[in-house]
Amino acid sequence: MIKVEQLTFAYPNGMPVLENLSFEIKSGEFVALIGQNGAGKTTLLKQFNGLLKPTGGTVRIDGIDTRNSTTGILAQKVGFLFQNPDHQIFLPTVAQEIGFGPANLGCSREEIDRRVREAAAQVGLEPYLNENPLFLSKGQRQRVAFASLLSMRPQVMVLDEPTTGQDYREGIEIMEMVKALHRQGHTVIFVTHDMELVARYAERVIVLSQGRILMDDTCRRVFYQPDVLRRTNLFPPQIPTLVQKFDCYQEDFGTPLSVEELYATITGCGGEEYVHCS
Amino acid sequence: MPPLPAAEEKSMSIVANYLNRDSVIHRLHPLTKLFWSLWVMGLSFLFSDLWSLAALFFSVVAIAAMARMLREMVPVFKGLFFFALFFWAFQVLLIAEGRPLLTLIPGNPGLRITDRGVFIATAMGFRLMVIASSFPVLLATTQMKDLVVVLVEKLKIPYSYAFMFITSLRFIPTFMNEMEQIIQAQCSRAHRLDSRNFVTRFFSICPLAIPLLITSVKKAERMAISMETRGFGIGKRTYLHRYDFNRVDWLVSFGLVLTVIGAVMINLTGMWN
Repeated sequence: MIKVEQLTFAYPNGMPVLENLSFEIKSGEFVALIGQNGAGKTTLLKQFNGLLKPTGGTVRIDGIDTRNSTTGILAQKVGFLFQNPDHQIFLPTVAQEIGFGPANLGCSREEIDRRVREAAAQVGLEPYLNENPLFLSKGQRQRVAFASLLSMRPQVMVLDEPTTGQDYREGIEIMEMVKALHRQGHTVIFVTHDMELVARYAERVIVLSQGRILMDDTCRRVFYQPDVLRRTNLFPPQIPTLVQKFDCYQEDFGTPLSVEELYATITGCGGEEYVHCS
Repeated sequence: MPPLPAAEEKSMSIVANYLNRDSVIHRLHPLTKLFWSLWVMGLSFLFSDLWSLAALFFSVVAIAAMARMLREMVPVFKGLFFFALFFWAFQVLLIAEGRPLLTLIPGNPGLRITDRGVFIATAMGFRLMVIASSFPVLLATTQMKDLVVVLVEKLKIPYSYAFMFITSLRFIPTFMNEMEQIIQAQCSRAHRLDSRNFVTRFFSICPLAIPLLITSVKKAERMAISMETRGFGIGKRTYLHRYDFNRVDWLVSFGLVLTVIGAVMINLTGMWN
């Protein structure tokens, strides 16, 4: 779906932010992009929908070289959710806000209406369709922004810190929506500083450090290599940290990522049984 | 430090950005430099002939060179040049006096370019560049906080007004950066800014202007609160630094006053023409 080859990027009169990155993201993957501030995460995300174009190497989305396309055209393939929903909300009702993208794509009135309803249903905004988005809570505004990208029906979802500034519940709700979309076959790439979220949702983790890829592996393998992570000021989630502290006990706990998994290893009671046991 | 986003970097090179250098100009008292920029503006209105205005403009360039920041000021001058060129193209067609050099539409006496028109329009172009270029030089050689302190202490301007002024300048790069984010967010929703039609082009600004307005108001509110929590507006305040007007400042200021008097005299007596 996304093919990055020897990607190098520098802002005008600046040092390179991304240096010689090569990787591929296949259709249907759930990828977390992590790294400390200034590592180039957002810059890399912006390459995926052509907001920034490579200064060296190529980025191909579904075979299209981003340098030969525009963000408007790529928007139909790659939806981008920004950190701050207030950077895009400007219309007086939630429905109009969600319909802005499809209208830009030249959809008919009926089609826009259909897409608005569908997107609103996906993020649970149906009761608010006629409300002014500015008077909604931050979490709800983020959902409006999310719905307004869903209404363009992109295959890939790119999310830049989608849970920032929201309470735990709001954050989890957004991520659950993303997970549901992933199950329907969408490709998801997200940036976050919350390692618990990464452990809970991501299948693959790419660790960026100073514009280079430090690790690119499954979530499990990345979080069980704390030395590499620590080099970029990241710490594994609590469960992997705890399990590694127990190393000296010569007991094999495996490589659990969540409370559920650890509980299952210890008691041999996993999955739905865990819910029952607790 | 991570590199600045493109917009911030660009905007900072154009507006209100202090460049830390060790130069004669930097060491001058902020008030002297403020006098100088007012002097430049004043003179540009006293003179209306091409050569004086051109000389005035190059004096500003020379000051920028003395402040060892000519390289950074080039984009400013370049931007102003294009703006002046645009202005020139309008102006040159409006002046009908003088010997015609070129008629745009044969047979139509309205749209023609005359020798006097070229002369006057070029002078106007220089005036525009002079007026707009002295302030960036002032701001690049003087720290905003120093300027405010002198405005308040020496010129007795109420602190809240001075503060308002400095804050509005300080926020320009922030808003440029914010604008960049908004443009990116709307482009990601397939919003087009490059429409050919003038009307649609005008309305295409709404999706950018409204979020900018809303985020700015929010930002201003947050700033007001953070200022109050740090005791803003309680009463008379003091300042960390003191600035003394030294001999060079007196000398420069004296020179500035003399040239202004000279220029006024020339104008009144009509010696120049």
